[in-house]
Amino acid sequence: METKKAFKLFTIFQYKEEQDYLRKMHQSGWKFIKVSKLSVYHFEKCIPEDVIYQLDYNRDGIKNIDEYVKMFNDCGWEYLQCYTGYSYFRKSAAEATGTEEIFCDNDSRLQMWVRVLKRRLSLLAILLLCLYVPLCIIVSLLINSLALGTCMAAVILGIVFLFYVITFIWFVI
Amino acid sequence: MDRHLKKVYVPMTETAFYILLCLKKPNHGYGIVQTVEKMTDGEVRLAPGTMYGSLSKMEKDGLIQFIKEEDKRKIYQITNLGSEILQIELKRIERLYRNSQEEL
Repeated sequence: METKKAFKLFTIFQYKEEQDYLRKMHQSGWKFIKVSKLSVYHFEKCIPEDVIYQLDYNRDGIKNIDEYVKMFNDCGWEYLQCYTGYSYFRKSAAEATGTEEIFCDNDSRLQMWVRVLKRRLSLLAILLLCLYVPLCIIVSLLINSLALGTCMAAVILGIVFLFYVITFIWFVI
Repeated sequence: MDRHLKKVYVPMTETAFYILLCLKKPNHGYGIVQTVEKMTDGEVRLAPGTMYGSLSKMEKDGLIQFIKEEDKRKIYQITNLGSEILQIELKRIERLYRNSQEEL
């Protein structure tokens, strides 16, 4: 069976784009197998078909995976995997009614979004706190004891800034 | 009753309304989906992501309670608090209907 891998980054704001991407791949004859570490998407060659892909973000569901998956299976959705808190589902467009989705009202779409943000923000807060305190200590120690010039201090602050940028990028992916 | 809960659930989404209505009798998520589809001649189709999220939220808020598990399906039933909130929502809908009848 012919397979292929593709590296593709989607931020947490782009789960719709991710769903569309997987659907388009399936339409062009590449069936989604899994997404593995560092955002590598695995596909296998298939007969082109229109298949709807959907992502849910529900950590409660992942904790009770059996009954969570059962509910989706009952409604005709195939469960594929979970990846960084997201669960992947698909259903053939031929079996779906109209533009069927795993959410049927805006309230629940918003609730999913709130769950994503809550989780990310709490992780971000912890990480920033962990980074901030030691970095402050290091910076003040270096500046005071070694009597470094402003140039060196600027470099250190630059590194700190870089840390924050990396943290932010990690936050949105 | 908790004012915060009343604010969250009234007015209610169609999904929440049908969940509470169907859980007068013990039922599981997919059972509710099927019952609602029958009740509305296929016009209201509840989706699993919405259903799962709503059931867990309502259980946490004490509107429904877990009864037992059967074949990996969790069976729930409405609580007194849930019935109270459903009554408040029903009154609101009745008022809507009454007013529209008078006006139209």
